Amino acid sequence: MKLIGHIAAVILLSAVMLAQAPLDPAKLLQLPTDMWPMAQGDYTGRHYSPLTKINSTNVNSLTLSWVYRANPGSGPAGGGGATSATIKGTPLQINGVMYLTIPDHVWAVDARTGREMWHFSWRSKGGWHIGNRGAAVLGNTLYVETPDCNLIALNIKDGKERWHKEICDLEQFYYGSVAPTIVKNHVIVGVSGDDLDIPGYVESHDPETGELQWRWYTHPNPDDPEAKTWPSVEAMLHGGGMTWGPSAYDPELNLYYIGTGNPQPVIAGRARQGDNLYTESIVALNPDTGKLVWYFQASPHDTHDWDAIEAPILFDGEINGTRRKLLAQASRNGWFFVLDRATGKNIVSTEFVKTNWTKGVDAKGQPIPDPKKEPQFDGALVSPNQGGAVNWPPPSFNPDTGLFYVNATRAFSVYYLYDTDDKPEGWGGNDRSGWSEGMLEALDYKTGKVKWVHKWAGNGGVRSGLLSTAGNLLFAGDNAANLIAFNPKDGTILWHAGMHASMSNTPITYELDGVQYLVAAAGDSLYAFAMLAK
Amino acid sequence: MGRRIQVLALLVSTCAYLAGQAGPTERQSIDNAAVNRGRTVYAQYCINCHGSNVKGGDNGPDLIRSVVVLRDRLGNDIGPAMKKLDGHPKDLTSAQIVDLSHFLHQRIEATSSNRNTNQPPNVLTGNVEAGKTYFNGAGKCSTCHSPTGDLARIGTRYTPINLQQRFLFPSVARGGKTTEVTVTPASGKAITGTLVRIDDFDVSLRDAGGEFLTFRRGPNVKVEVRDPLAAHHELLDQYTDADMHNIVAYLESLK
Repeated sequence: MKLIGHIAAVILLSAVMLAQAPLDPAKLLQLPTDMWPMAQGDYTGRHYSPLTKINSTNVNSLTLSWVYRANPGSGPAGGGGATSATIKGTPLQINGVMYLTIPDHVWAVDARTGREMWHFSWRSKGGWHIGNRGAAVLGNTLYVETPDCNLIALNIKDGKERWHKEICDLEQFYYGSVAPTIVKNHVIVGVSGDDLDIPGYVESHDPETGELQWRWYTHPNPDDPEAKTWPSVEAMLHGGGMTWGPSAYDPELNLYYIGTGNPQPVIAGRARQGDNLYTESIVALNPDTGKLVWYFQASPHDTHDWDAIEAPILFDGEINGTRRKLLAQASRNGWFFVLDRATGKNIVSTEFVKTNWTKGVDAKGQPIPDPKKEPQFDGALVSPNQGGAVNWPPPSFNPDTGLFYVNATRAFSVYYLYDTDDKPEGWGGNDRSGWSEGMLEALDYKTGKVKWVHKWAGNGGVRSGLLSTAGNLLFAGDNAANLIAFNPKDGTILWHAGMHASMSNTPITYELDGVQYLVAAAGDSLYAFAMLAK
Repeated sequence: MGRRIQVLALLVSTCAYLAGQAGPTERQSIDNAAVNRGRTVYAQYCINCHGSNVKGGDNGPDLIRSVVVLRDRLGNDIGPAMKKLDGHPKDLTSAQIVDLSHFLHQRIEATSSNRNTNQPPNVLTGNVEAGKTYFNGAGKCSTCHSPTGDLARIGTRYTPINLQQRFLFPSVARGGKTTEVTVTPASGKAITGTLVRIDDFDVSLRDAGGEFLTFRRGPNVKVEVRDPLAAHHELLDQYTDADMHNIVAYLESLK
């Protein structure tokens, strides 16, 4: 008994030691193996793992290892509780500890056992509690945004707060939901909110003190030529372009990439004629200064709420026989773009689902919106709908197959204008959705052509993130609470497991003690699968 | 449920609602009587520069987008601001400033939630005859529907906006129809019933006798789903917006 006691003490100590182990920043520059150190997995945002212990020949041996149910408690609203406990963020796994988030809450969970280690709760002052996309860790500190516009730094050892800084103005209807990104000594954060007409921005904070290092607004300076894409400075300074999606980073080019959201007013665009730069754009910034290096606009003058915030995916590939540094995005507007990520020059622009809102592409490869498909007082039938051909759940790029995987939706809705004023504000309209169908697609990055497609059974789009691995596997969720493994080469289904709800985030994988785990969230629960020794 | 519990429940649900909304939880509660009084104050002192829609003009900024107004609570920010700024009334009473605050916050609330209106101005802009022609011609609507049968007097039953939504996006349940499925297992005869649930792995149906049956899908199990609305979904790719408006006009004329 005494021996067992000693062993238990050693195990307990090990767990505590693990919880204290900081994140080596060098891990952020590597493909994820024993960790999942950032929400995107690594700076490329590919949601790809080189692990092969779980592979297409043995995936049928996966068993449930543990389930962890996140319980935010029953505190009063605004006090950290009473929020929807849906895990949308991609968890981190660092030195055997998993960190997961929902709005106002962070948990540390033993990645081997699913046992809770600590729980942090934030007393909220408001803001949209629509979801939290995840946290970031540097050294001993975890960084997370709150709906009431704070960036919080926690000690990863015990979840105690180190500091918090206001990153946006709740009174102007901003809110926080974004997973911060660590680049060198920068904690880079985005902001959310499009109820009123406010400008979007990205800003960087000092990891130790939280002090603001730089802020880049998603609009030009009034004297820049791009300012002419707005009818007035006032319209531009209230023109939206939130930065609520994931980002990527190329250390060789020292460029930070992020997509920007919809212009504002959202639906009624007649008082903001023009392309409305830099809304709905993929932009490259210098992460040390916040200066814009290049931009590519996915949806000039959007009036459909088609944020171009979807994950920018970085990979190197051959284009016409030349090795290029590439960036790809499957955008909410239904278009797939491949760019040269050093220059922003367009290489591929093509629909990955059929749409009806463009008149082709311009010389820069940017779609040309059809004015007839802008929202109308009596309605315009538009595809895709406001939810988009994709939304926030990230795609995956697999370097082994050279294919870009996306959970796509084909949908129609009618877009209406409500605001008859000469100067609409807010939204000024909306769509009413009707019909949609979902499909998992594999795209050839060189052409954007669909290599294979798996139509999901039943109607409706599917919102789940994707993960592919060197084990010749592609993991996705459907609308019927299944976590599914596909053969990424041809879309053949190899394995599935039922969960209590449909997958609500993006699966991750990591290897600990020689065991590869696969972890996905469904609603308020994390499910971990593995091939465990008997 | 006791009254006190009901009040508590209402408070909790209201708080939960507010916590899920944009902006701060502790926002100014709008007093409608004060809004009306504040509108009068606005019309007397502010409208010339800030405009009839509060969105500004050549001589004054937009007050819905004003950070001072957004941060104001019951006049505590706009009162001092007006005192400091040239050309603003200095003799407003405290009560008038509070009323003005209520009016301005009501305009902000209305703007920040203006996506929620479900009634567009007027969707009845099409041509009845063109809609009838499409109904009997290119749309092939008359193949399944009749203006004297299932669509008789439909213009009296639904508003134009609902007519538009219902013909574009009919739902199985709303039309009293069901999606049929036939499952043919590897060894056994085909079974037809009403589709209850389907994914890549299982299909469930309720047969004519009301029995609930689930089948594991596989290469030797044939599954045929017959969506009664498939033709409607295919039409979504074919409608022009003019077709859409003309059909609404035609359906609305069926009275």
